[in-house]
Amino acid sequence: ELLLALLCTGVCYTLAKMSFLGLGQGADIRIELSGLEARKKVDVKMEDGKKEKLPLYFDGESVSGKVHITLKGKKLEHHGIRVEFIGQIEMFYDRGNHHDFLSLVRQLDPPGELTSSTTFNFEFLQVDKPYETYTGTNVRLRYFLRVVIVKRLSDITKELDVAVHTLSSFPDMNNSLKMEVGIEDCLHIEFEYNKSKYSLRDIVIGKIYFLLVRIKIKHMEIAIIRKETTGTPPNIYTENEQIAKYEIMDGAPVRGESIPIRLFLAGYDLSPTMRDINKKFSVRFYLNLVLVDEEERRYFKQQEITLWRKGDPKTARKIIK
Amino acid sequence: MPQVINTALIENQEKLLAEARNQVARNAFDMKTCLDNNKMMDALKFASNMLGELRTSLLSPKSYYDLYVGISDELQHLEQFLLDEFQKGNKMSDLYELVQYAGNIVPRLYLLVTVGMVYIKSSEGSRKDILKDLVEMCRGVQHPLRGLFLRNYLLQCSRNQLPDTEGSGGKDGSVEDSIQFILQNFAEMNKLWVRMQHQGHTKDKDKREKERLELRILVGTNLVRLSQLEAIDAAVYQKSVLPNLLEQVIKCKDAIAQQYLMECVIQVFPDELHLQTLNLLLPACADLLETVNVKEIIIALIDRLASYAHRADSGGIPSDIKLFEIFSQEVAIVIQSRVEIPLDDVVALYTSLMNLALKCYASRIDYVDKCLCSCMDSFKKKLSSLVEGNSSTGREFQRLMKVPVDLYEDTLTVLKLENYSKAMELFDYNGRKNLALHLVQSIVDKACVISSTEQAEVLFGLLSPLIKDQTDQPKEEPDQEDFSEEQWLMGRLVNLLQADTPDQQFLMLNTARKHFGTGGDSRIKHTLPSVVFAACKLVMAYRSIKDEDERWQMKCERILKFSRETIMVLMKVKPELSMKLFLQAAIVADQVGVETFVYEFVTQALSIYEEDIADSRAKEAAITLMIGSFEQMRSLGQENQENLCTKCAQESSRLLKKPGQCRGVALSAHLFWTGKVCDENGEVTERRDGKRVMECLKKSGRIAKQCMDKQVEVQLLVEVLDSYLLFHEKGNQHITTEFVKQVLSKVKEELGSIEEEEAMKKHFDNTLAHIQAAGNGATYKDVLA
Repeated sequence: ELLLALLCTGVCYTLAKMSFLGLGQGADIRIELSGLEARKKVDVKMEDGKKEKLPLYFDGESVSGKVHITLKGKKLEHHGIRVEFIGQIEMFYDRGNHHDFLSLVRQLDPPGELTSSTTFNFEFLQVDKPYETYTGTNVRLRYFLRVVIVKRLSDITKELDVAVHTLSSFPDMNNSLKMEVGIEDCLHIEFEYNKSKYSLRDIVIGKIYFLLVRIKIKHMEIAIIRKETTGTPPNIYTENEQIAKYEIMDGAPVRGESIPIRLFLAGYDLSPTMRDINKKFSVRFYLNLVLVDEEERRYFKQQEITLWRKGDPKTARKIIK
Repeated sequence: MPQVINTALIENQEKLLAEARNQVARNAFDMKTCLDNNKMMDALKFASNMLGELRTSLLSPKSYYDLYVGISDELQHLEQFLLDEFQKGNKMSDLYELVQYAGNIVPRLYLLVTVGMVYIKSSEGSRKDILKDLVEMCRGVQHPLRGLFLRNYLLQCSRNQLPDTEGSGGKDGSVEDSIQFILQNFAEMNKLWVRMQHQGHTKDKDKREKERLELRILVGTNLVRLSQLEAIDAAVYQKSVLPNLLEQVIKCKDAIAQQYLMECVIQVFPDELHLQTLNLLLPACADLLETVNVKEIIIALIDRLASYAHRADSGGIPSDIKLFEIFSQEVAIVIQSRVEIPLDDVVALYTSLMNLALKCYASRIDYVDKCLCSCMDSFKKKLSSLVEGNSSTGREFQRLMKVPVDLYEDTLTVLKLENYSKAMELFDYNGRKNLALHLVQSIVDKACVISSTEQAEVLFGLLSPLIKDQTDQPKEEPDQEDFSEEQWLMGRLVNLLQADTPDQQFLMLNTARKHFGTGGDSRIKHTLPSVVFAACKLVMAYRSIKDEDERWQMKCERILKFSRETIMVLMKVKPELSMKLFLQAAIVADQVGVETFVYEFVTQALSIYEEDIADSRAKEAAITLMIGSFEQMRSLGQENQENLCTKCAQESSRLLKKPGQCRGVALSAHLFWTGKVCDENGEVTERRDGKRVMECLKKSGRIAKQCMDKQVEVQLLVEVLDSYLLFHEKGNQHITTEFVKQVLSKVKEELGSIEEEEAMKKHFDNTLAHIQAAGNGATYKDVLA
């Protein structure tokens, strides 16, 4: 509520400036989502890096609410008032060029004149929301409502972001990941992660088995790396970010040792794996096993894991209704 | 220089430890403040920071231990708080997950263990699963020192939480789960401990081994924990516990670990279990590394079982467990499988085995004999020369030989051991002599009676190095004091020769005489006198049974003859002693009334006196002794007696110094008064020859007066006066009261003329007191006035 109020003030300021320049009569727009109190809110990283709590929607859910327009003057002439629900991918290196993969419009008022503050109801029924909200290094995927009062010179607009989570069902195939890697005559290990696909609240369980150790290992850690790929060939940008670092072994093992891994994912800021989202970008996750020797040399092996979001039973029931 | 470096290192350690402790104190304080304010998340963060200090690689094991102790104390506050939280209804499973987000493994696992224990105590989760999870997760710490302490923390915290019941036990688990838990922890700790040996520079090997020894108790605690599980019975121990332990011990292929752990197993588990599992334990010993001191391990086991069998509260060794055979075989296997095993160790093994035989199977002399035999075999195989008594092997072997001597209640049981003398022959002179000495000392100390000639023969055979010169003995003279002491012991041994009958005793004495006779001059002077005394005693024994043995007198004569020959041998070596022995023999002969022997002995004594005793004091003493001996004899005829009396009086007057002469002649007087004469009918009468007595005393008085020294003269006169008084009182008519009065007044007068000495005055006063006491005060009143 407070956030909304703040946004409103910003808009007011713009409008006031416009009035001062004599460019027309102003109005305040406020978007009120229905059932906001009951709706779950989640943290979403915004463009400025700060986190905000946004109401959470799922794929196929309707988005409805009210648009309040408060006049600043006696009347407001316009060429039509509409509300849009937009899903947008934005590349940070190409700001001007947004790509809307979803754009729904409802006309609230035909061109004419408002003489008093008015409230309009709107509803987007069972909207497909194919992707999950995401803010990365180079790319941002957002959903928002936009109210536009079309004017002769410059429109009055108002946006409201919402968060979207995509839920997946249990994967059909979920093999364990098992692999033997090494450097000849130096280090041979076999690692095993119990699954290849993990839900965001899952636990990575596994073990590292040392087949050959000829280096003096100091410690071993496992890192979760997020790899964000944007652009289309040949202009591809890849960003790696270490989300978590977790020490799993202290000291030097000898041949035959088996070191357990247990990593709880719920505590980290993760999202589901996103592959080729609208042909614009991908977000993939890797488990990076790193061994550090006494001379600070690092030996590592990355292994992709698929992350998916499991709906909690409560949410699932609501969607079915 | 190395000293300096060392000091620097120590100072550095102290500094590092102090810093770490500071950090711990600060974080512990913050942790507790947060706990007080109920800020659990912050408290955990500080706890984790505190535990971060245990990630250090800079501290020595000792300093690390100090730090660890401090931190584990602090963690108890956390545990207590968490227990309270649980009481308030907080879920421990959530917390168990939460602490696992800690990024560093060492703090994470300490926290996990701490929370895990509360989780168990809350009965929220399955005790068995939690324990299993903890011991498994600890694998993440592969650094030896840090891993050892972490697992020690696990062991310490879980101390009272281990299921200790039989059966499946549901989610709480059973003793089987505890066993698996400890065994796994043990295996991992042992691996870490062994690994320490192979880390770091070769030149630090000694330091590393020292550090490892400091840490061994951490590994050993696992075994102690196992031994504390009450639900482990013999069957479980045999099936689940011991085989796994032994497998780890053997598999680790580390001498320090094998040595320590085997000793641990033997020490921490009860003897009853060992008895049931010898079939597992002993073969394992053979599988240990060559460098492991198996000897000590087996000995520890044998000694434990031996003392167990000996203890009052134990049930003894079950009859179906043939302990001696089992160990005997094992010892043989160990010796055989280890080519390099030093002889010392071989001997030590057999010593222990012998100990076992003696303590558990005291009646089985053959067991002890077998040990001796096997031990000898090893010696013969490995050593071509004699065993040197002073070498370490020699000492070990002697220790073995002394075991039966010390442990048999009757030392003489040793004589029944066939191999004992053979084993002794393996030693050089030194060793044989030490052993012989130990044997005789033991016999004398325990006063073991030797009752047959056969026994005596064997014994003298064993004691040969003390009895006669040995071909291999050193050329130089032995220490006189030691030598005398040894021989003196041999002399005492004679007293223990006590046959059941006098006839056998005589045979035994003959045996002793025969053996001691070979000892040479230096020995016989210590040993033969004892034989003579024993012979004298035997004569008296015959006298006491004269009614039962009609040939007793003849036997006595044989013994006296034996005595005479024995003394004759001594004569050249120790004339004075021989003289005394002759006198003693004469007294004994006199007691059984054999005048010929009496006279022979007496004349022998006299001739030694004349020929071999030169020193004037010795002569005085000898005369005194002879007079005393002759005086009591009852078997001499008149002529012989008269000869002796006259001889004594003469010899006395021929003494060198006047006081000697004076006293000797006065003493001779007794021979004429109470000296006894035996007539043809065997009637014995005292001589009562007052005239001769008077003559002697007068002569004595005259000699006294010849002394140049007035003091001496007066002293002698007082003594003569005493004699006069004595014989006067005895009724010698030749000494009249008047005469005594004259002497008395003369003495008094003389006394007045000199500066009397205290002693002399006292003497005279005593004489006067005697007169008064005899009621003669009035008689001498005028003189005494």
